[in-house]
Amino acid sequence: MRPPTRRQFIGASAAGVAVLSMPSFLAGCAKDAPLETAVATTPANPFLTWFGIDQAVIQQVLSELTARGADQAELYFQHSRSSSLTLEDGIVSKASSSVDLGVGLRCVVGDQTGYAFTEDLTLESMLQAARTASSIAQAGGGPAIEEFRFVEHKGLYTLVQPLSEVGVAAKLPLIEKIAAQAQAADPAVEKVRVLWSDYEDHVLIADMSGAMHMDVRPMTRVWCTVTAKKGEETQSNSSNLAGRRGFDFYDQEQIDLLVKQAVDRTMILFEARRPPAGEQPVVLAAGASGILLHEAIGHGMEADFNRKGISIFADMIGKKVSSEQVTIVDSGIEPNERGALNVDDEGVKTQYTKLVENGVMKGYLHDGISARHYGVEPTGNGRRESFRHAPVPRMRCTFMENGPHTAEEIIATVKNGIVAETFTNGQVKIGAGDFTFYVKNGWLIEDGKKTAPIKDTNIIGNGPDVLSKITMVANDFRLDTGGWTCGKDGQGVPVSQGLPTTLVSSITVGGEDA
Amino acid sequence: MPEIDQLLERAQQAVGLCKTAGAEDAWASTSRNRSVEFTTRDGKLEKVQESTSRALSVQIYTEGRYSQHSTTDLRPENLKAFLDEAVALTKALQPDPFRTIPDPALFEGRPEVDLDLVDGGLGALTQAQRQQWCEAMDAAAGADDKVISTESTVQDDHYMAAAASSNGFSGTSQETGVWMVSSVSLQDEGDKRPSNYDYLGGHFLAELPDPAVVGNGALQRALVRLGSVKGPTGTKTIVVDPRAGGRLVGSLLSPASARSIQQGRSFWAGKIGQPLASDKLTIVDDPLLVRGFASRLYDGEGIAAKPMSILEAGVAKNFYVDTYYGKKAELEPTTGSPSNKVITLGDKDLAALLKEAGEGIYVTGWLGGNSDGTTADFSFGLEGHLIEGGEIGACVGEMNATGNLVDLFMALTAVGNDPWIYSSTLVPTMVFEGVQISGA
Repeated sequence: MRPPTRRQFIGASAAGVAVLSMPSFLAGCAKDAPLETAVATTPANPFLTWFGIDQAVIQQVLSELTARGADQAELYFQHSRSSSLTLEDGIVSKASSSVDLGVGLRCVVGDQTGYAFTEDLTLESMLQAARTASSIAQAGGGPAIEEFRFVEHKGLYTLVQPLSEVGVAAKLPLIEKIAAQAQAADPAVEKVRVLWSDYEDHVLIADMSGAMHMDVRPMTRVWCTVTAKKGEETQSNSSNLAGRRGFDFYDQEQIDLLVKQAVDRTMILFEARRPPAGEQPVVLAAGASGILLHEAIGHGMEADFNRKGISIFADMIGKKVSSEQVTIVDSGIEPNERGALNVDDEGVKTQYTKLVENGVMKGYLHDGISARHYGVEPTGNGRRESFRHAPVPRMRCTFMENGPHTAEEIIATVKNGIVAETFTNGQVKIGAGDFTFYVKNGWLIEDGKKTAPIKDTNIIGNGPDVLSKITMVANDFRLDTGGWTCGKDGQGVPVSQGLPTTLVSSITVGGEDA
Repeated sequence: MPEIDQLLERAQQAVGLCKTAGAEDAWASTSRNRSVEFTTRDGKLEKVQESTSRALSVQIYTEGRYSQHSTTDLRPENLKAFLDEAVALTKALQPDPFRTIPDPALFEGRPEVDLDLVDGGLGALTQAQRQQWCEAMDAAAGADDKVISTESTVQDDHYMAAAASSNGFSGTSQETGVWMVSSVSLQDEGDKRPSNYDYLGGHFLAELPDPAVVGNGALQRALVRLGSVKGPTGTKTIVVDPRAGGRLVGSLLSPASARSIQQGRSFWAGKIGQPLASDKLTIVDDPLLVRGFASRLYDGEGIAAKPMSILEAGVAKNFYVDTYYGKKAELEPTTGSPSNKVITLGDKDLAALLKEAGEGIYVTGWLGGNSDGTTADFSFGLEGHLIEGGEIGACVGEMNATGNLVDLFMALTAVGNDPWIYSSTLVPTMVFEGVQISGA
C-alpha cells in the first residue's frame, strides 16, 4: 500500500551502506562481444510505438532538458511487464501481474544532478519534468540535435520465445512438476512453495548527442521453498534459479537441480550446528561465495564513493592488495546472467572490467559522472532500478578468475575452520570497509577434512584486510545459478556473482561455545 | 474535485471495469505521491529530484480464484485491456475455497479519530529553504579537521491513497513527511574512512529541528567510530541502544503471522499463551497512535484498525492474521500487516542501565546477519563500545552476536525509559545477558 518506508530509505542510503539480498519478489561464462545493429531511422520504430511517442516529441523534451546547459542529459523511457504465479498447499491459487511505464529525465552539470520522472507520457507532462530536472543548470544551452541515431543493442539475452508469449497454461505444469518432485523427494517434507516470476523490460535511452539506445531485457526466476518436519523439529530452506533466460531454459535437468538443492539444503539443517565462535580459516566454496567479492571489494570500487574520497579503496589504484593468484572482474557481458546488460542505463556499451589483476588494484567501476571526473572512459556500470531513479555506478556480474589449486588441496591445508557454501545476504560499510555475509549452509573442517554440517552463521571482516588474507585460489570457477539483487542508494538492481574455491586464512565467524 | 476524491473515484471505476470484464468481486487501490529530495555535498548542490508518482492496483476474485495486478499505465484503452487480461488470467488458475474477498463485517467500526498525519503547509516549502537547511547541516557536520566529506538531504513527500471494493468498502488516507538527513565521512588511521549519519523529522514542518542539530549529530556519531578495533570473543551482557533495538524486535515479530505459521515456517506456531520473551517485554501493535509512522484507520483489507496486544509480560497474545491464511488456519482475521509496535517502557535511562551492566558490549548498530523464522536461530554483525566499569568504553566493531531469538529475549533483563520515537517500532534501551559474541 505505501511506498518503501522512509526509514529503510534513510538507513540504506545515508550511511554509505549497501545491501545484497534475495528478496522473494524483487525481481543473481562465456565472453562473446555483444552485437550492435544500427537500424534505419524510421518513424515506425517499434520502440517509439511502444511508448506512444515520436522523434519530434523526444527532440522537444530533450531541448527543454538542456535549455540551460548540460554536460550530460538523457531521457530514459521504460516499459516493464512482470508476472508471477505461486503454488502453496498443492495448488496455484495466486497470480500477479504488473505494468510499469514512465520516463526519467536527467540533467548533469559537472557532478551536479537534476532529476525528475513522470508516468504520464504526454508532451505537457514531460516538458514540465524537463524544466524541473534542468533547474540545477545556470546558463547556456545545449547543442540542437540535428539527427537521431538508432542503436538496437542485442546479443546477450535474445530469447527464442518472448516471455510475453508464454501463457499461464504453459507455466502451470512446470510449477506443479517442481512441487510434486520436491514433495516426493523425502518423507519428512511437509510443505512446498513454488514461485515463478518473469519480467520483460523495454528500454529506450535518448541522449543529448542524438543517440537512441534500445534494449529488451528479460528476466525469469523459479523459487522452491521446502519445509520438513522430524518429530517436533521443523526446518525450512529454499533454492532458486534465475537469469535473463527464456521459459525453455527450465527443462528437466534444471528442475532436478533446483529441487535437489532445495531439499538437500533443508534436510541437512536437522543435523547442522553452529561452528565455534571467533577468528578462523574460511574456505569459500565455488559459486555463490562470490558474495565475498561483492561486499569486500566490489562496492568499494564503485567510482562514486572514490570520486567523493569516502571509500576505503580511494587511494589504492596500482597497489598490491592481494595474492598474485587473485584476479577480480566485474563483467557486463556474461550471456543470460542476471547481471548481463547489452548497454548500461546511460547508453554505454558494457564490458569486461578488471578490478584486481594478479593481486594489483586496476581500476574503478564508472558511470558518466565519475568517468568525466577521472578523465577516463565510462565502463558501462551506470545502472538504475527504474525510470524513477538516476543511475549510479553499480556492479553487474562480479567474480574471480581461476587460480592454480584444487578444492581438495585447499581443504586439506586447514586444521580447524569452516567451508561456507550457501548464503542469504551480505552488507558493507564502504568507508570503514567492514562487511558481512550470512552463511545458511556449510561444513566444519577438522584436520583437513569436512566433518559436520553447519548453519546460520554470520561472517564479518574488513575489505582490504580480507583481500590480503586470500592465500589459495582453486581452478573450479563457476557463477552462482541463483538470483541476487543488490541494494544501494535505495535502488535494487539484479547482479550475478561467482568464485572458484578460495581460502581466507582468518576471518571472524559468528559461532557458539568458543 | 479534490485530488483525494479523484483517487477514490478512479478506484471505484477500476472495480467497475473488473466487474464488466467478468470478475465476481474486485478490490482496487489507487495512490499518488508527490516527492522532493534536495541534497548537498560539502555545502554545494549535489542532486535535486522531484516527482509525482501514481499507481493503480486491483485484486480479482472470481469462481473461487484470485489474482492481483498493478499498473502505472492509466491510458484508458490500455487500462481496460490490462484489466480484461487480468480477469482472463484469473479464470485460468486453480480454484481455492479459501480465496474470498474480505468479509464486510470487518470494515465496520472504523475509528473516527484524527491521526494528525498531514501538514497542509508542506506544499509551500521552497527549494531555497531546502538548500539553506542542507547547507546548515553540512556546515555543522563538517566542523572537524578529520572530516573528508559531508552530505545532507531534505526529503519530503505527500502521499495519498484510496481504496474501493465490490462489497462496499471505500476509504481514503493521506500523510505528509519531511526529514533532514546528514552523513559524515572521516579520515581514520590508515585507509579507513568511517562514516555515520543522523536524521530527524516527522509528518510536520514544525517537527523539524535546527538543521545544525542533525549535522552535529552525524558528526558526533561518526567521531565516536574513530579508532574502532575488533572486540573480544565470549559470552557477554549486551546493552542495545534504542536506535538498534528495532532490528531485534523486528526479527522476533517477523514470523508472527498466520501466513508463516500456516506455511510451517514460524517459531510462533502453537505459542499463544506461552512465553517467547522474559516478563520485561510487552508489545502492543497500535495503529491509532497520533502522528505515528505506521498509523492508519483501516488496513490493506479494509479491516477497521484497533490496538492489539502481541506480547504481554513476555507471553504471546496475538499475531497477524489476514483473511486468506486466517481461513486456512481456522483463525479469525486480526490484521494482516503490522502498524506501530509500541514497547512498554521501564524506569531507567541508558546511563543507569550501563552502570547496572558493569561490563559487556554497548551495541549501537548492526551490520548484516539474518535470522531463521522457522527455528529462531540468528547471527548478526554488530558495532558499538565496550562497557567498562559501568561506563561507555573503547569503540569496537567487526563482531557477531549469535544465538536463538527466543533464548535471547528470555534473557532480556531490563528495558529503558528512552524509546527512539522516529520509527514505527518504538524501542527503548534493552539489556540482554549471556549473549555469545564472536570477535578477535
